[in-house]
Amino acid sequence: MKNSTRFVLTLRKLALLFLRDLAVARSYRAAFLIEIFQALFGVAGFYFLSRFVESAKLEKSLPPGANYFSFALVGIAFFDYLSVGLHTFDASLQEARQNGTLENLLVTQTSLPVILAGSSLYPFALMSLRTAIYIGWGAALFGFPLSGANWLGAFLVLAASVLAFSGLGILSASYLLIFKRGNPVNWAILGLSTVAGGMMYPVSVLPVWLQHVARLIPITYSLEGMRAAILGHATLRELVPSLAGLVVFAVVLLPISFAIFSWALRRTKIAGTLTHF
Amino acid sequence: MTNFALSLENVEKYFPPATSGWRALLHPISRLTIPALRGVSFDVKHGEILALVGANGAGKSTLLRILTTLLIPTRGCAQVCGFDVAREPAKVRLQIGYHTGADACFYSRLSAKENLLLFAGLNNLSQSEASTRIAELTEPFGLGALLDRQVRTLSTGNIHRLGLARAMLHRPSVLLLDEPTRSLDPLAAAEFRRFLVQRLVGGHGTTMIFASHTLAEVEQLAGRIAVLDNGRLLACDTLAGLKATAKAATLEESLEVVTRRAPRETQ
Repeated sequence: MKNSTRFVLTLRKLALLFLRDLAVARSYRAAFLIEIFQALFGVAGFYFLSRFVESAKLEKSLPPGANYFSFALVGIAFFDYLSVGLHTFDASLQEARQNGTLENLLVTQTSLPVILAGSSLYPFALMSLRTAIYIGWGAALFGFPLSGANWLGAFLVLAASVLAFSGLGILSASYLLIFKRGNPVNWAILGLSTVAGGMMYPVSVLPVWLQHVARLIPITYSLEGMRAAILGHATLRELVPSLAGLVVFAVVLLPISFAIFSWALRRTKIAGTLTHF
Repeated sequence: MTNFALSLENVEKYFPPATSGWRALLHPISRLTIPALRGVSFDVKHGEILALVGANGAGKSTLLRILTTLLIPTRGCAQVCGFDVAREPAKVRLQIGYHTGADACFYSRLSAKENLLLFAGLNNLSQSEASTRIAELTEPFGLGALLDRQVRTLSTGNIHRLGLARAMLHRPSVLLLDEPTRSLDPLAAAEFRRFLVQRLVGGHGTTMIFASHTLAEVEQLAGRIAVLDNGRLLACDTLAGLKATAKAATLEESLEVVTRRAPRETQ
C-alpha cells in the first residue's frame, strides 16, 4: 500500500473514531446541556473568589493588563487540557476493555496507537468546547478581556501543548497496559503540575528551587504562552520561548512514549493480559 | 495461495503466573511458566470446518487468540493463509474474521448499522464498499429490522448474528469463532447453527474454526474435530475417524476414551 493511501486511510479511521464518540455522546443529550451550565457556575465561583483575593501586591505578580480572574480562568481552563491529555489514552483503553470491544478493535486492520489516537480526538474537541464556554461565560458576564488577544498564537500554543501532553498520556497508557490500575505517572505529573505549573498563581511566587522544577514540566510553558497570547497580546515572536519549550517536550516525549507503548503492547500479547483489567 | 488456510507447527504457549498486590507491582514481568499449549501441530485446508473441543482450560481459546494475533506464541509457528501470526500480524488480520460468544462486544449506544460502518472502516473498507457489503449481509443475516436499532435493545441471539456479520464484512478467508452459542438459549442456539450451516457452510468456501462445548453443534457443523486436553492435541480427525479410533458409538464416548488415554500431569 502506498504511503499516501495509508495516510488517507489513517485520517479516515481517526475521523470514524471521532464520529463514534460524538454519536455516543449525542445519545446522552441532557449531560451535554448540564455541562454548559456547570461551566457557568464554575466561572461565577472563580469571579467572586478573585474579587476576594485581588490586591495591589497580587497585581504586580500578574502579566501586564491581567487581573486575577482572567489569570485564573486561563489557568484553570487550559490546565484541563493536561488532564485530558494524561487521561484520554488510558481511559479509552480501559473503556474498550470494559465494554468488550477491545479484542474486536484489535483484530481489525487498525493498529492500537491509531485506535487510541482516534479515541482521544473527541475528548480534546470536547475540552476545546468546554474552554470556549468557560471563556465565553467569563467574557459575557464577568469582563474577561477578549479584545486584542493573539488567537493564532493561542492556537499554536494549544497545538504544541496537546502534542506534549499526549506524549505523557501515551506513557500513562503504557503503564496501564502492564499494571492495569493505579497510575503513578498521572498522579506525579498532575500533582507536580498543580503545585508548580502556575495554574492558580504565577510561577514567580514559588521558591526558587520550585521555579526550576516548574521549567521541567510542559504545563508551565503552556500556561505562560496561553496567558501571554490571550491576556498579554503577545506577538508570535514573543511566544517563541513558550512554543520552543513545548516543541522540545513533544519531540522528546512522543518517540520515547511510542517506543515504550510498543514494548508494553507486545509484552501484554506475550503475557496474555491485553484484555485484563 | 498456500495449500492450507491454517498451519500450526509445534505451537507452544506459556503464561506468567497470576499475581496481584505488591508482588504484581514489584515483579510486573514474570517468567512464562504456566503451560496453555504444548506443541500443537495441525493443518486446515481451505473451505474446511474444524471444531476445537476440550475441557475448560484445554487451550481452545488460547489457540484461537494466537490465530487472531491477540497473543504471541511462546514457541513454534502458526500461519494463516501462509502469513505468520507473530511476524505478519497485519496480513493475518486481513484474512480473518473473529467472533466470540461474549454478549458485550459492540458500542451499545450506537445502532447496529453505525457499529458495522465503524468496523468496516477500521477494516479499510470505503463508505460505499461498507454500505454495499452491509446491504449484501442484511438479508442472509436477517438484519433488516435491526440495523437502525441501538445495539442495547437487541436480543442476545441478534447480537450474535450482528457479531457474525461484522466478522464477515471484509470477506475474510478464515472465520474464527470462540464458543459462538455460549450465551444463547437452546432454541436460539439451534437457530444460530442452522443459520451457520445454511449461510456460511453451504458452499461459500469460508474456512471456519470454532471452539465449542456443545457436542451436537460440533457433530452438526464440523468436518474434523481437534481434541485438546491440558494444552496438548490428542486427536484431530473426522467424527467417523474419532469414533473408529476410540471404538465408540458417540462423540461423547469418543472424547471420554481419547482424553482418558492422555497422560495426566501435575503442574
